[in-house]
Amino acid sequence: MKKMMIVLTLAAMVAFAGQAFAHSPLMSCFDNGDGTITCEGGFSDGSSASGVKMHIQDGEGTSILETKMNEDSECSFAKPASAYVVIFDSGEGHTVELNGADIVE
Amino acid sequence: MSSRNLLVALAGQPNSGKSTVFNLLTGARQHVANYPGVTVEKKTGSFGVKGTSVKLVDLPGTYSLTSYSLEERVARDFLLGDSPDVVIDVADASNLKRSLYLTLQLLEMEVPTVLGLNMMDVAERRGQRINTDKLQDILGIPVVPTKAKRGEGKDALKEAVYSLAGNAGPSFKIDYGKLEAYISELEELLVEDPVLSVLYPVRWFAIKLLEGDSETAELLKKTHPDAQSVLDRTDSCRQRFQDEDGNACERHIAFTRHASCAKVTRETVTLPTEKRRNLSDLADRYVCNRVLGPLILIAILFVLYEVSIVFGNWLALQAWPLWGALESFFADILPQAGFLNDPLLRSLGLWVVKSLTAILNYLPIFFLLFSLIAVLEDSGYMPRMAFILDRLFRRFGLHGQSTLPLILGGVYVGGCAIPGVMATKAIPDERARLATIMIVPMMNCLAKVPLYLILIGAYFPDVAGVAMFFIATVTLFMALPVAKILSITVLKKRPSAPFIMEMPPYHIPTITGVLRRAIERVWLFMKKIVTVVAAVAVVVFVLINYPGLTSSRTAYYEDMQDTAVAVFMKDVNKTEFKDVIRSHDVLPIILFGEALKNAKRKITDKNMSAAINEEFQAGNPIYYAVIKRVGKDAKKLNKSLKKVIQVRKKVRREARAERFETSFLGSMGKALEPVTQWAGFNWRINIALLSAFAAKENSAATLGSIYGIDGSDQSVQDSMKAGEIGFTSLHALALMLFMALYPPCVPTSIMVRSQTNSTSWMLFSIGYQTLLGLFVSSLVFTGATVLGLTGFQAMWAFYALCVLATLVMAMIPNPEERKAASAAIITPCKENCS
Repeated sequence: MKKMMIVLTLAAMVAFAGQAFAHSPLMSCFDNGDGTITCEGGFSDGSSASGVKMHIQDGEGTSILETKMNEDSECSFAKPASAYVVIFDSGEGHTVELNGADIVE
Repeated sequence: MSSRNLLVALAGQPNSGKSTVFNLLTGARQHVANYPGVTVEKKTGSFGVKGTSVKLVDLPGTYSLTSYSLEERVARDFLLGDSPDVVIDVADASNLKRSLYLTLQLLEMEVPTVLGLNMMDVAERRGQRINTDKLQDILGIPVVPTKAKRGEGKDALKEAVYSLAGNAGPSFKIDYGKLEAYISELEELLVEDPVLSVLYPVRWFAIKLLEGDSETAELLKKTHPDAQSVLDRTDSCRQRFQDEDGNACERHIAFTRHASCAKVTRETVTLPTEKRRNLSDLADRYVCNRVLGPLILIAILFVLYEVSIVFGNWLALQAWPLWGALESFFADILPQAGFLNDPLLRSLGLWVVKSLTAILNYLPIFFLLFSLIAVLEDSGYMPRMAFILDRLFRRFGLHGQSTLPLILGGVYVGGCAIPGVMATKAIPDERARLATIMIVPMMNCLAKVPLYLILIGAYFPDVAGVAMFFIATVTLFMALPVAKILSITVLKKRPSAPFIMEMPPYHIPTITGVLRRAIERVWLFMKKIVTVVAAVAVVVFVLINYPGLTSSRTAYYEDMQDTAVAVFMKDVNKTEFKDVIRSHDVLPIILFGEALKNAKRKITDKNMSAAINEEFQAGNPIYYAVIKRVGKDAKKLNKSLKKVIQVRKKVRREARAERFETSFLGSMGKALEPVTQWAGFNWRINIALLSAFAAKENSAATLGSIYGIDGSDQSVQDSMKAGEIGFTSLHALALMLFMALYPPCVPTSIMVRSQTNSTSWMLFSIGYQTLLGLFVSSLVFTGATVLGLTGFQAMWAFYALCVLATLVMAMIPNPEERKAASAAIITPCKENCS
């Protein structure tokens, strides 16, 4: 009995290594054409992405800008001159990455 | 033969290939319903033979026809009540001894039976040879070898059914030895009842009475004029037999039946000369081993979890564009949005669609989960898993087969109570089944996770991993004692059944078989849930949107809107767009911009993007100019437009939050504050919890919309912390625990109703979990406040309490253990499995 309990607890711990989340994170970015980019975030279940961390990195993965989604689940920033990546970071293992080259006007 | 229609029942033990035979005989002509009054699925189909139309009814798969499980009762009632013309008994030829146990009981009921020896290919592969002619002679019924998986034996089976119809029942009798005298004694009494002796086979009836079968006793009371005297005589027979033989009647009967099966098998089956244990038995030495068994089980569950939940989540994300497209499709065809308020049809329509896509998003997860479960079932591992865990679960009034429902419900984080409750169908023990249904919603379903994440992120950031571990595991330690308490109190009178589950040989599941079953279940699930969710979404929409804003507040927001538009128009008049763009163009321009944005979502190709731009430009060059900043004036105006868009978003957001707070649901949340204060919940949290009842995923969204209203760059977590002065980690802990114990969401409640077939059980399930949740969170909150514990300390104090409760509950014996009944029947199944 006790052994089973220990075993089950261990099972839970092991399984927990790969955390699962309820909703899928979503992000789309748009080039506003005025040298700024606007990204919209959200979740598949309609949850607000307000406050979700946003990382803008250059081609080498160095951070250019650290910001957050605003109360409308949006985030605008100046378009970096060189290659860049936008990362919507709503928690470990739950990020959306978008390459700057794929954000078209 | 007459041209009348025939009614044929298909009986068989689980894993004998009964469904395959059913499909073989009926093809696509099938109809699925429930047996009246119970939730056991009733599959009917039809086929024709020599001009006679045959209606085929698939009986539930059962190992025997005693009345322990719902399935067995249903099968037996059908055989007695509907008197089918012929019964096809599908037997696993590779495991004849086990299969005959059901066959002999059918023969005892004197129903005209055709024995379909299925899986002959498996038997041949194992080198077994079955003398079907001899088997036919011994049993006195037609025996037809089939290989249903390969489509062989269909015509022979139909032929046998056709020729047997109208004939008298079989004459095979098991010799019960010393008991025969008592059987005759009762038979003499029973034939005196003219009704009973016509309705039921008298010998069978006598044997059932001697077996102590309660349902037969009930039948007797209904028809026999002097039932009590027969029952008294039965008791006396049972007593005298026990005195004479030393064994209880039911033990003797079960033993004799098993012995007869063995005897018939010995006479008809030639086993391969090489006496090696077959692969299944060899595998079971490891799979059901005391030490290795649980380890293998954990490994399998781990894979199940990783594939269905982790990989499933990834897959869900890949599939999202499909649901996203569905949402934008409806956004396009519904009436256009307004500046401040949208037309009712639009807001309600989008709300319902959004609620549906939130569920549809889980489709890949359900599909993977159901496929893997089908693999576990088809491979024959499922009963082994149940066997391994039965020892543990019995102690809590559950059953080995409770494992699957609990896993689906989310034993660790990430399940869904709906398929969990649905899966309880397979549990043969009524008491354990209800107990399982009652605790499945306490597991951590996927939808509870966002709330946990918000609270842990805000109040336990340094110990997030440990806190998550706490909430992920404490639920089981709360659920197990609860199951035990329920099973020794409210569920005490419910019939219980011993764990009878023989270990079928392992199969390699076929891809088509697995896919078919997975698709079938997903479809069933979607049909049931989607309709419920749509209905519930409408109700919730009303609850959170009405009575709506007061006219003065509406005027306030409209004023903000008018000011913004006026400023914009002033800017317009300074540009070349003067008199071209008027104030009624403002909203269309904004919507035009949004449509353009939506059209370009997920577009990464420059040429495609340019094509869309051209299309929109052709549609309305002026609007396009402002949105896409064509020309110097348009550039200026675009800046001004952005301000209007900001104001629009702001008024919409604020109006929505205000509408929500003053809604029916909001008022309810406020009204509940006096009760929930002991658990540390204020009205805002009450609102979130109330909306979570509609569907769990609402909780985070609702908290988000309540707390996300004033922050500029604050997260929900931050603004919640800031918004709730004096809200401590203890509050967060109480809230998490309440959420864990929170009543099942509406779709789950509907599923509980359909599985228990009773509205009162559904209400009970909602009621007790609400009270339990309030009790636990009040206990933790008030208790820890009195003791001066922090949230983290209280967390582990409570954990220890739960583990202790679990251990104590495990020590309390079940009502059965006191009686230690039916031990004899359990023995044969344990033989196979270490």
